[in-house]
Amino acid sequence: MSTFDEVRGIASDILGIGTAKLTTDSSPDTVESWDSVQHLNLVLALEERFSLQLSPEEIEQMKTLGATAALIESKLQASPR
Amino acid sequence: MAIVIQPYRKEHESAVQEFNRRLQASGDHNLVFSQTCVPRWLPPANGNPVWNEFYVALDSSPSGTSVRGAYGLKQEALFVRGKGVQRIACYHHPLSEGIVDRAFTSVGMLLARDALARQPFLYALGMGGAETPIARMLKALGFSLTAIPFYFRIVRPARFLRQMQALRDVRWRAILMDIAAASGTGWLAINSAQRLRRWNGGMSEVVVEELSEFPDWADEIWERAKETVNFATVRDARTLRLLYPASVTSTRRLRIRRNGSPIGWAIIGIRRKDAKFGEMRVGSIVDCWAMPENALAVVRAAAQALEKDRVDLIVSNQSNQVWCDALKRSGFFSGPTNFIFAPSKKLTELLEPLETGSFHFTRADGDGLPVNF
Repeated sequence: MSTFDEVRGIASDILGIGTAKLTTDSSPDTVESWDSVQHLNLVLALEERFSLQLSPEEIEQMKTLGATAALIESKLQASPR
Repeated sequence: MAIVIQPYRKEHESAVQEFNRRLQASGDHNLVFSQTCVPRWLPPANGNPVWNEFYVALDSSPSGTSVRGAYGLKQEALFVRGKGVQRIACYHHPLSEGIVDRAFTSVGMLLARDALARQPFLYALGMGGAETPIARMLKALGFSLTAIPFYFRIVRPARFLRQMQALRDVRWRAILMDIAAASGTGWLAINSAQRLRRWNGGMSEVVVEELSEFPDWADEIWERAKETVNFATVRDARTLRLLYPASVTSTRRLRIRRNGSPIGWAIIGIRRKDAKFGEMRVGSIVDCWAMPENALAVVRAAAQALEKDRVDLIVSNQSNQVWCDALKRSGFFSGPTNFIFAPSKKLTELLEPLETGSFHFTRADGDGLPVNF
């Protein structure tokens, strides 16, 4: 499973929306349930699932699901599990 | 875009005004942050035990710097029985541009995380209930949510029945309330119920006097009574003089004496107009302190002072069981509460077991004083 697929699965659970409806371009602008609270829940879930910490600058990069997956991927490569 | 959170300084004031304008364009005029970097309430000063400080979330781009969020920290001291005094902070007035623009959805979380990084022993108070976005966000960050009980006593039943908008939202109920007010049955029912609960006693030799400022005797009562609660924000004379200075007239400082000796104090005030109370004049027992055996006398003295001030309704938020009991024995009823005490994970660990009733928090804690009075 790719990092994007894992991130999409987590986002699907948190946002209460089917994975098929989530694309790399999905964002708070396009997903109604993606509000500030769910954004926090997404950050916390990603930190727990991938055993990493996201800095404020990195959280700011999470504009879309694709950008979020790319960020996670780069952090995983920087510090391999 | 890169969000950086910094202490609010003079050079940010114009950007905060722009931030306020963008928030208020949504139509909610309560969405406003302090236009001045120096807090009007509890400004920082050398040696003060309690003060406010503000932070802003700055978004720098080639076209300039914008404010995308802001929050306040009320720095104060908390007495914890058996553990001494601990510095803590109240997280208040968090505002994020994410409220009006989803491009800034992450700002609310960044504000809360920044506050936690600055003071891990953090709490929030009020928040309008446990299901509001801010309360849900803090819960996700590991904060505990505990409701602080709400009590009320109706002084003028007819005015209450005609003006209590929070209960008149259903048409048939509003009609029944009008009938009860006009016929006098409402007056009879409410007064009977309140008298049944009121315990007549504890007021012999009690004298109430209004203070312009808290003298040092408040230290003695603080020192004695603090050991009867699990925790409370410090209420010594020096802190009380900052919280309730002589210059503030929206709240009144009462000293209660029995047989000539001070036994406690209370802060009372008239609440600002609030749509849910209609045109009612709503008095509040804002804060109070005494040994448990004197709580009833203090509550009754405070309620009598408000009645003399021609209020229609008296309300109070009290966490401590002793004070809750004193309110009930003074004819108060408990009502639904949306006043939430939310300590951070670290603060919860310090305070455990977090038992409702064992600690002393009131409407005066947090940022409630300038907001409500």
